Amino acid sequence: MRPDLSRPASAHNKRWSLKDLVLVVVLGVVFGFLYWIFVQAWTALSIAMGPAGDLAQHFLLGSWLLVAPIAIAIVRRPFAGIFAEVIASVIEVVFLGSMVGPLLFVGAAIQGAGSEIPFALTRYRNYSWRTYALSGLLGAGLVFFYSAFRSGWYGQEIFLLRLAIQLISGVIIGGLFAKIIVDALDKTGVVDNFAIGRDRLARA
Amino acid sequence: MTSELITTRTGAAPTRPPGNLLSRRNPTIKLALLFIVSLVLMFIFDPITPLVLYLLALGAIAATARIPVKAFVLAHIPFLAFALGLLIVNALSRPGDVLWQAGALRVTTEGLLVGAALALRTLVIGVLSIGFVLSTDGVALMTSLHQHARLGSRLTYAVLAGYRMLEDLPREWQTIRHAHAVRVPLRANGKPPRSLRQYGRAAFALLVLSIRKGERMAQSLESRGLGLTPRSTWRRIPLTRTDWAMAAAVLTVLGVVVGLSALLGVLRGYQVLG
Repeated sequence: MRPDLSRPASAHNKRWSLKDLVLVVVLGVVFGFLYWIFVQAWTALSIAMGPAGDLAQHFLLGSWLLVAPIAIAIVRRPFAGIFAEVIASVIEVVFLGSMVGPLLFVGAAIQGAGSEIPFALTRYRNYSWRTYALSGLLGAGLVFFYSAFRSGWYGQEIFLLRLAIQLISGVIIGGLFAKIIVDALDKTGVVDNFAIGRDRLARA
Repeated sequence: MTSELITTRTGAAPTRPPGNLLSRRNPTIKLALLFIVSLVLMFIFDPITPLVLYLLALGAIAATARIPVKAFVLAHIPFLAFALGLLIVNALSRPGDVLWQAGALRVTTEGLLVGAALALRTLVIGVLSIGFVLSTDGVALMTSLHQHARLGSRLTYAVLAGYRMLEDLPREWQTIRHAHAVRVPLRANGKPPRSLRQYGRAAFALLVLSIRKGERMAQSLESRGLGLTPRSTWRRIPLTRTDWAMAAAVLTVLGVVVGLSALLGVLRGYQVLG
């Protein structure tokens, strides 16, 4: 049994504080905006690449997963990952006019759930490279079957190739890269007043 | 957007938003309809049904939203590009009766049909999304979700604050890029480097800046009493019989088209993918 101190301080009260709520919205906004720049560049490139562009974009799938592990690592609350993904998708669809339309909300929720499961299993305590990698793997793996249904990938000859590329991308970009970003943010000190900073103080 | 914000700030009366027939409709109802139609389309895999729906949606939006033709066509480009990609990939990557072959490339009838179905589905969702985005104000949508869909006031105002932040982001982005450009070593031609690394640095700076700003935002929202009940709304968004009539009309058309398509034997479901 670990000492009670190691438990995230925020896990005690159920209601989200406005600070945590706004942080998750801010993450959704910033990532929504960065995705939007990214998509602009990407659409031009994928049109230029023709049919190969459809497959090539899977290499970057993990980047859509980033916001969930980052939100979870900072606020360390149940549902933070799902919530962050859904907010980011709302920003994309409603304010930036995403192509997928409101079906993106469903995809985002599934993606967030996948990314969140590994953290939830450690009761939001373990933030090792392994947990992040698993988070990326599940995030990409879970949403794959939904995307496959939505985009009609079943029955295509490149079905397994799609799955493999997406899983690898999920682990590397959506998992390991998220840890790099979280550690860098932690070092700057901007997240000191959130659960991540409190936990670091409790350990020190 | 700016004029809309100004009217929101100065005129608090529960007036009807100005504009055309579609932009006067309740945003929550519009979003719900967009969601339902997209969901139903997800289970339709023949090209005819979405084609009919696309033509109907195009006509309905053109008639009610008064979007300038040029803007309407331009907004179609990303959807058309995406649809074309879907058509080509499916035509080339599905087993079936070979229609045309050249070396490793072969087009199958099955692939072409599924590809056309998916492409047309993208266009239906696309034209409806264009209609939605161009006829709906973001602030009105959040207010309406708060009023009509029981979205909590803390969440509503957090998202609205996020929306204000989003409007500032392009400027912040430029400022950061300029600040970085002043300090980086220049390239041989005297211009700042445009590498992925530089973009990454700017993106991280934007993230840090926004988190710091968000913390201040949360404090000021809380100090102004957000979260206290009961909550009054400054400018109420109307939800009228016309809105319900629109919902009924859209759902009826959807039902009739899908029903007729099933009756005529055109409708194909998921089993097409084999």
